[in-house]
Amino acid sequence: MVGGVPFIARALATVMVAAIVVFMLVPLAVVVASSLSASEFLVFPPRGLSLRWYQEILSSREYTAAAWTSLKLACVVTVVSLAIGTAAAIALARSRFPGRELLVGLFLSPLVLPTIIFGIGLLMVFSRYADGPSFAALAVGHVVVTLPYVVRTVSAVLEGADRHAEEAARTMGARWWQRYWHVVIPQCRGGMLAGAFFAFNISFDEAVIALFLRVPGAETLPLTIYSKLEFSPDPSVAAVSSVLIALTVLLIVIAERLLGLDTLTR
Amino acid sequence: MSRRETSFLLIPGLALLALAFLFPVAHLLGQSVLGEAEDGRSVLTIAHYARFFVDGYYLGVAERTIRLSLVITLVCTVVGFPLAYLMVHGGPRLRFWLIVVTILPLMTSVVVRTFGWLVILGRGGLLATVLDGLGLAERSFTLMHTETGIVLAMVQVLLPFMALTLMGVMARIEPQIEEAARTMGCGFFGVLRHVVAPLSLPGIVSGSLLVFALSISSFITPGLVGGVRLPVLAGSIYQQVLGTLDWPFAAAQAVLLLVAAFTIVIPYALLARRRDLAR
Repeated sequence: MVGGVPFIARALATVMVAAIVVFMLVPLAVVVASSLSASEFLVFPPRGLSLRWYQEILSSREYTAAAWTSLKLACVVTVVSLAIGTAAAIALARSRFPGRELLVGLFLSPLVLPTIIFGIGLLMVFSRYADGPSFAALAVGHVVVTLPYVVRTVSAVLEGADRHAEEAARTMGARWWQRYWHVVIPQCRGGMLAGAFFAFNISFDEAVIALFLRVPGAETLPLTIYSKLEFSPDPSVAAVSSVLIALTVLLIVIAERLLGLDTLTR
Repeated sequence: MSRRETSFLLIPGLALLALAFLFPVAHLLGQSVLGEAEDGRSVLTIAHYARFFVDGYYLGVAERTIRLSLVITLVCTVVGFPLAYLMVHGGPRLRFWLIVVTILPLMTSVVVRTFGWLVILGRGGLLATVLDGLGLAERSFTLMHTETGIVLAMVQVLLPFMALTLMGVMARIEPQIEEAARTMGCGFFGVLRHVVAPLSLPGIVSGSLLVFALSISSFITPGLVGGVRLPVLAGSIYQQVLGTLDWPFAAAQAVLLLVAAFTIVIPYALLARRRDLAR
């Protein structure tokens, strides 16, 4: 660039970067630090160093059951959301019909509506027309909020893909399933991977809808943490939270390797 | 693609959104205006809304919610602008790490991030320990149950949305425009002010709308950091839904929350649009 960047701007930028890194990461770092404490109570700075709280959570029925529920939920949500969202994205990207723009807006609209409003609506509907909150109800709620991510990521890769490949397959006499299996789905793959990353991560971490649709005895991990924070946090909460942080780091590393970070920020 | 194929692909998604998204939201709107007449029939009423507006308590809650959300949005914009600029103009390594630093908290559960803030802000927490070490405050210093504490924690939760939105818009500004301004004798900060800021305006607008909408409807972080002494609107709704089970009143408050988000959003979006056209 012409003229370069003045010293004062460079200095300001350095200070800012340091401040932002501290501000964004310290809340996560203190959680991990607290989980390594040897003390009975949640104190900062942590006293002693031990892994006893990790042992504790592994042998706790409450945490392992919640982790299992969360894992099942996230897997179901990811699969269903991918199936529905990819189908919709293919139709929206590959065919032109009146009202298409409107449908794109509709598919993305769960992103815009505050989750609390959707959560209450869902609770009311499930209490009125079904037997109240259930695992299935929660899964439905999570599919709705993760759907826009899948539609967006799959549409994005389809925009850049060669639309004539599909036409070619058609003219060469491919059956509809061959066309999808050999051409369309492979074209969607990058977007589906990114969509799966978002869907799994959001569903595993989501707390608002889960709070409204909480099922006694089958709570998700974020909910268990929330209840502990409300009443009696001890270092075991820090250990579970650290596991969640580690899982997020792992997912980001995988996504970065497979897709590159820029795909995640679009 | 044939019509039949298109509808076949779209129907599962449309059915899901109609039944599990539009219907529940419509149901919520309906509940907020339905009351019971003396003979037990359902009638239209504005009683639930009226109750909100005659009660000073709820008006106070609404005022705090909007004030905090405005402050949070402002702080996110002021911090997010230079952060996004660095993400776009810093070298590839800086860019990579800034994105990691932004995405990692964004992808971490909100309960976990809030937990971190509880450890930092609490009595004898990290902040108190550091300030005590510097001789600036007692160890009993705490920002728990304060509005400052809520703003700090919420900015960390919401800054990624602002930074990533702004980054997307800034990355699309042609570097030649900035170079031209520099060649014409504009200083570094002058370019930021007269070129980058106006061209990023759409990003600033959509980023702050997003942050405002998210912050006005949050209750987990404000609830845990602010406690019962500093209730926000979304927290009060949560209380009514799961605590006192007053669903019609909760529905009315939820609708008001949505209206509050949009009444602030619409004029702002229009204003930004007009400025866009004027240029």
